Amino acid sequence: MTTSEHLNVTAEINGVNVTESVETRATLAQFLREQLGLTGTKLSCEMQVCGVCSVLVDGEPVSACTYLAADVDGRRVETVEGLANPGGLHPLQQSFVDNFALQCGFCTPGFLMMATALLRRNPDPSEEDVKEYLDGNICRCTGYEPIVHAVLDAARTMRGAT
Amino acid sequence: MPLPAFTLHRPRSAADAIALLDEDCLAYSGGTELLMAMRMGLIRPTALVDLKRIDELNTITLGADRLLIGAGASHDRVAGDALVAEHAALLATAERLVGNARVRAQGSIGGNICFAEPRSDVATVLVALDATVLLQSASSRRSVPATEFFLGPYWTAREPGELLTAISIPLPAPAGVYLKFQTVERPTVAVAAVALPEGGYRIVVGAVGDLPVSADYAQLTAVDAADLAARVEPVSDLTGSERYKRHVTEVFVRRAVAALAGGR
Repeated sequence: MTTSEHLNVTAEINGVNVTESVETRATLAQFLREQLGLTGTKLSCEMQVCGVCSVLVDGEPVSACTYLAADVDGRRVETVEGLANPGGLHPLQQSFVDNFALQCGFCTPGFLMMATALLRRNPDPSEEDVKEYLDGNICRCTGYEPIVHAVLDAARTMRGAT
Repeated sequence: MPLPAFTLHRPRSAADAIALLDEDCLAYSGGTELLMAMRMGLIRPTALVDLKRIDELNTITLGADRLLIGAGASHDRVAGDALVAEHAALLATAERLVGNARVRAQGSIGGNICFAEPRSDVATVLVALDATVLLQSASSRRSVPATEFFLGPYWTAREPGELLTAISIPLPAPAGVYLKFQTVERPTVAVAAVALPEGGYRIVVGAVGDLPVSADYAQLTAVDAADLAARVEPVSDLTGSERYKRHVTEVFVRRAVAALAGGR
């Protein structure tokens, strides 16, 4: 076996169609960060426990550290870079700013993507729902309370806006 | 750390997948356990067979007296399926609580039990429900009870050339409760307590030892939590000592029995 086995991946990444040759063994995190330069997706534990690498594939949250890039072939990927639009921050991002829901910011992209997945399936979550859904994401600055409040606030804003 | 190199196969049928499987060519679905084990160098396959494009492994169907769950169904899919909710609600309960939201979206029920991590939520409940698993090779098909499928940590009755195609739950499935104590990604102790359809009760204590411990009782009042706590073989680790885990086991058996009694 060679170490350079590759295959072609065609995927929609943040609304842009991309076709790239990727190493079969490449993780989605490597593909996003090293090949596409989308470094908003972070890596930390690389054991799908900490949640900093959370991205959405066809709307479902996955740990990009433990997910083959090959598996996004034909699918739609959303990362933190896709949240804001030219008009401004996504309501979740704005709410994280308004609620001081970050300190160092390293875990923030993962929390934002998980919160995005949560609010799509449940636009009106209880505080308990938010805590349960985000319990696979770790913040070492220990800012969990403001994060939960930020998600609940954003949910209110987003319900009002639609 | 990068993954070691491997070849990736993407068959469209179970038969094509089975033809590829052997000791070095492993079934791959969500990858939530396999890719981690490969990264740590614990498993070194030369090839992976991606099962996610095989529709027949992803169905959940109701037979005359069994519920059949395709091995490729994700935890989320099982947790949210209407047939599972109606006929095997306890499994849906446990599946809603597996790992974290990403593991539930990515990981498959078949992968979970084939990996046989001793702290599997699914394993505990499948033993409580008298489930069997369907194993298919190029030359044979067999059905193995969950109690005989799990042989030890990371060790099952599945042979390298076999694919676990489905999980079969006999109906009516017992109703009951699933309680667990968990501080990390997997439970320290998990208890399933069910009322058996033919009468009597079953308590299954999982996660705390290498294999689930199951006991049947004629009456709920006959359940001896201290006896069960003495029978499990806890593994001391960062989530607690053996003595502590026996204590938690006893407490959670009592709570599960009280919850089952209260719900009836």
